[in-house]
Amino acid sequence: MAPPAASQRYPSPSQPSGKSEVTDLKSQLRQLAGSRAPGVDDSKRDLFKKVISYMTIGIDVSSVFGEMVMCSATSDIVLKKMCYLYVGNYAKGNPDLSLLTINFLQRDCKDQDPMIRGLALRSLCSLRVPNLVEYLVGPLGSGLKDNNSYVRTIAVTGVLKLYHISASTCIDADFPATLKSLMLHDSDAQVVANCLSALQEIWSLEASHSEEACREKESLLSKPVIYYFLNRIKEFNEWAQCLILELAVKYVPSDSNDIFDIMNLLEDRLQHANGAVVLATVKVFLQLTLSMTDVHQQVYERIKSPLLTLVSSGSPEQSYAILSHLHLLVVRAPFIFASDYKHFYCQYNEPAYVKKLKLEMLTAIANESNTYEIVTELCEYAANVDIAIARESVRAVGKIALQQYDVNAIVDRLLQFLEMEKDYVTAETLVLVKDLLRKYPQWSHDCISVVGGISSKNIQEPKAKSALIWMLGEYAQDMSDAPYILENLIENWEEEHSAEVRLHLLTAAMKCFFKRPPETQKALGIALAAGMADFHQDVHDRALFYYRVLQYDVHVAERVVSPPKQAVSVFADTQSSEIKDRIFDEFNSLSVVYQKPSYMFTDKEHRGPFEFSDEIGNIPITPEASGDIVPAQQFEANDKDLLLSTDEKDDNKGVSITGSAYTAPSHDNSNISSQMQELAISGPATSAATPQSSFDFDDIFGLGLSTAPAPTPSPPLLKLNPRAALDPGAFQQKWRQLPISLTQDCSVNPQGIAALTVPQSLIKHMQSHSIHCIASGGQSPNFKFFFFAQKESEPSSNYFTECVINSSSAKAQIKVKADEQSTSQAFATVFETALSEFGMP
Amino acid sequence: MPVAASAIYFLNLRGDVLINRTYRDDVGGNMVDAFRTHIMQTKELGNCPVRQIGGCSFVYMRISNVYIVTVVSSNANVACGFKFVVEAVTLFKSYFGGAFDEDAIKNNFVLIYELLDEIMDFGYPQNLSPEILKLYITQEGVRSPFSSKPKDKPVPNATLQVTGAVGWRREGLSYKKNEVFLDIVESVNLLMSSKGNVLRCDVTGKVLMKCFLSGMPDLKLGLNDKIGLEKESEMKSRPAKSGKTIELDDVTFHQCVNLTRFNSEKTVSFVPPDGEFELMKYRITEGVNLPFRVLPTIKELGRTRMEVNVKVKSVFGAKMFALGVVVKIPVPKQTAKTNFQVTSGRAKYNPSIDCLVWKIRKFPGQTESTLSAEIELISTMGEKKSWTRPPIQMEFQVPMFTASGLRVRFLKVWEKSGYNTVEWVRYITKAGSYEIRC
Repeated sequence: MAPPAASQRYPSPSQPSGKSEVTDLKSQLRQLAGSRAPGVDDSKRDLFKKVISYMTIGIDVSSVFGEMVMCSATSDIVLKKMCYLYVGNYAKGNPDLSLLTINFLQRDCKDQDPMIRGLALRSLCSLRVPNLVEYLVGPLGSGLKDNNSYVRTIAVTGVLKLYHISASTCIDADFPATLKSLMLHDSDAQVVANCLSALQEIWSLEASHSEEACREKESLLSKPVIYYFLNRIKEFNEWAQCLILELAVKYVPSDSNDIFDIMNLLEDRLQHANGAVVLATVKVFLQLTLSMTDVHQQVYERIKSPLLTLVSSGSPEQSYAILSHLHLLVVRAPFIFASDYKHFYCQYNEPAYVKKLKLEMLTAIANESNTYEIVTELCEYAANVDIAIARESVRAVGKIALQQYDVNAIVDRLLQFLEMEKDYVTAETLVLVKDLLRKYPQWSHDCISVVGGISSKNIQEPKAKSALIWMLGEYAQDMSDAPYILENLIENWEEEHSAEVRLHLLTAAMKCFFKRPPETQKALGIALAAGMADFHQDVHDRALFYYRVLQYDVHVAERVVSPPKQAVSVFADTQSSEIKDRIFDEFNSLSVVYQKPSYMFTDKEHRGPFEFSDEIGNIPITPEASGDIVPAQQFEANDKDLLLSTDEKDDNKGVSITGSAYTAPSHDNSNISSQMQELAISGPATSAATPQSSFDFDDIFGLGLSTAPAPTPSPPLLKLNPRAALDPGAFQQKWRQLPISLTQDCSVNPQGIAALTVPQSLIKHMQSHSIHCIASGGQSPNFKFFFFAQKESEPSSNYFTECVINSSSAKAQIKVKADEQSTSQAFATVFETALSEFGMP
Repeated sequence: MPVAASAIYFLNLRGDVLINRTYRDDVGGNMVDAFRTHIMQTKELGNCPVRQIGGCSFVYMRISNVYIVTVVSSNANVACGFKFVVEAVTLFKSYFGGAFDEDAIKNNFVLIYELLDEIMDFGYPQNLSPEILKLYITQEGVRSPFSSKPKDKPVPNATLQVTGAVGWRREGLSYKKNEVFLDIVESVNLLMSSKGNVLRCDVTGKVLMKCFLSGMPDLKLGLNDKIGLEKESEMKSRPAKSGKTIELDDVTFHQCVNLTRFNSEKTVSFVPPDGEFELMKYRITEGVNLPFRVLPTIKELGRTRMEVNVKVKSVFGAKMFALGVVVKIPVPKQTAKTNFQVTSGRAKYNPSIDCLVWKIRKFPGQTESTLSAEIELISTMGEKKSWTRPPIQMEFQVPMFTASGLRVRFLKVWEKSGYNTVEWVRYITKAGSYEIRC
């Protein structure tokens, strides 16, 4: 086969191939190099322009380096700049020739015109040739002392550039110390700002191997330095203000007066015309008040208006950046934005990425008061020409239906979507109706009558088809022609490409069979036969499994496949709250736009140990795990904490989720799987023997399916100090420093919710369990408490807890941070027990 | 790190590089190619303005027929990145005199490189103020310390200014005639349901100024906004004058405005930059006066015929008039023939945007105009997909009218030499996104 064309770059008049032109340029430049004729600068200019434009479009013009340098002896400032640009671009690849440029650059660094001095110094530092660094130190040193601030600003950045070429040269010349004194004493704001950015970069890179740099880095965050910057912030330009605000975020205030001082100083920054400054200020406010719940909420109220203004002004790209941040805030505190829902209505011409964010926000803020309007608006979008947005809108309506208690009106409208007779709307709606029925089975009557009217022929998407089939199986008794629709689908087994759909067909046929045996028997037979002959492993295995269970005992089969269901109370959140918190900590950065913390997307060297734990959930069986080892054991060996926390989650959800046969938790009941393996070994040939085999099916599946999985062994009891004391400042500091060791959801009993009308009562109650409240706030239905506790034996071992209680859903979420992380589980148990007793007489 | 951009590229719509400025070495290889193959040549373009490829993030925006791509390797500040690009483009425009497009870039690429060098160093934004940069980067660029020593006097002074405290104004300006122009420009955004309910309505306004003033003048602007008036009456301890007051939802100011004074006294006082600038921006959601009412009736008569009737009413003062009114009435794609009458202006069917475009050059206040049209459709096979009925959109400009009712009460200029100034104030309301569902 012929190799593909080496260059697929389309030929265009503006992008010549280059070879001959470069040779031409070379000779022309050579001619001009020595010439002192009048007008020579003009011809040089034209040639230089050509060189630069070739360089821009990616033609390699490094071969004229020598000639360019020769021509650089000029007094024309524009020529100089073009030459510097060229040299800066190619010096790295031509270290030897670069030496030629050092001479004229050094001379220019001593020019009497500060413009020239600055330019030369900037170019000198941009050469990026390691063995030329010795020539940099001198000019940089004098540049930092230059009496002209323009030169100093350039010299400061020059130091940073030098650091990146050769860190040791930079440190040896003691430049960081010079920068520090400039930063604190220079009269010019831009010099100070550049010092700050340079020092932040240098010290954070040095900090890994130098204690001193570490200390210096900390000293940037000391109170005097922070106030030095904040008091002068108005003197800086908008970009430098962003830099300073970013620094202020990391500052740990000493007390609440400190916090209020800073907020008062910065309040007017929220009115700045530059959105970046506003957003940076918002971040400072949010971070400062993180531990003061009620003030934190006031901050939300305060920043709402400026952010909404920013969204509606500027280009779509800019509003996207702001909206991403608003989205984060909306999801964190939906009730604050509930009355502003109209701001998130989409305009017809907005780009899809803006619309998508707005839809998500509308979903998040829907509550009792605004749901009707929001859903009406969303229904408008469902008819949108843009299919992706129409789908999102339908999904949004579905999500609102799932999160609202009074869903009746929404269900009607959701069902109206099915009447629009658009494939994609129908498809999305079916999936949602299925989820809705899993959570609110009481709506089955309304839904099933409409769903029954849909012709399965019009539905092609696997997800929608699966949803329809699930409903056919689940509600076979209410849909008169369910067995026949299933039979129809099963007859077309061969044409069904999606394994997911085939799996659902098997299960639905089984369920239907238990409810209406005579009508389904034939279809089930075909399905099982087709399933066992299926090339897809899962489909094959499931068919075989059903076959054997049926063979063993039909009643057992029914209990396995189609047991009475409990409604799903909460669908698992896609993102853990820890991840959400991390994103929040990285407010005003790319993390927010990507909706994932930075360690997940910045390059390898920044990736910490988290990468591993994050992916562990979906790791395929690794090569070492080959053989019969159950992957769960691997996890256990790898990361005990993680396993513990996932177990916790299963515990909470287990009751409801296990209702559906195929989502039973897998890795914590490994004895089932081992027995299942034995079962598989027996094979089809010996299947006749299964009835008298020694396994007690009842027991095996009773364990997995009936009630909750076996509780985890209770950890040793923890004794807490009833008279523990901690001042709020110390709490705040610890809360910032410590990682979250545990997050867990628990429910609060109804009496507790009733008693919560006086939040003080919970504080008293917890105190009786030696858990002390340090701060609390919030309004119905959301309350937030910060608690701490101390181990009785060791006063240095503290536990810090954030507890958010939603009184309308009677749920609480607790986040635990601990000095001694290994005992945080024990503490969480104590906490949860205490919480569950709240309101009990 | 706020931005620390590693590189900035300007590309045309085909993906050819127009400008290529690398600031840092931490992005390797050919980033332009990565952008071209992973974003420009895929559906991703227009899907999201921030994308990650490899270890780098591409933050890009399209401005006229140019893509400006910023490449960052760290977890950068996006809002800052976009704002920087927008400001840079404003700066370029002020140099080219208006347009910013592919041709302008090609004709000025040396200048752009010069500017890119000044406005960003090693990835950190520096000074972007056109007033200051124009002092030492001139379009001609012929100034040279050797050839023209005497002329060069302002340069050292200029470099002081580059970083000085009043970064937006240089000293020693002098005009024969001292003039101030102030424009209040509002755009009304409306979303109305087919039943005539206002779903969403707000005004975003700008106060634009053009100053030709000598010396270092101090300006003070008074508006009829609620907070300002209340504060004033409180300070002068006399009851507020009756009359309409406007409640501003949110205000942002140019950096020249003394925010501390705004917060304490609620007056807008400032030392203005020379020439044109945007003094403040505001947003209003309450008490908006809509300049136009639109009453559409669209009837689908069977599969091949439609009747469209649109009545537009102007509800501003009878002495005023709107200019450049355009009503875009969407029609289905399969429109075959249109037949219409209008009571004023001219209408046309524009198949490329599937709209009837109705233009009225001058629309007096307190009047109404109607368009009635009959539309014949080609009957197609895919009958099932009913037409989605996009909203009617409207464009207009109403001079001397503010949808918010905002008025300038006073504009005082004070300079130590005590010269007289002439102040000009104008108002105009434009359509932002003015959508009526039908």
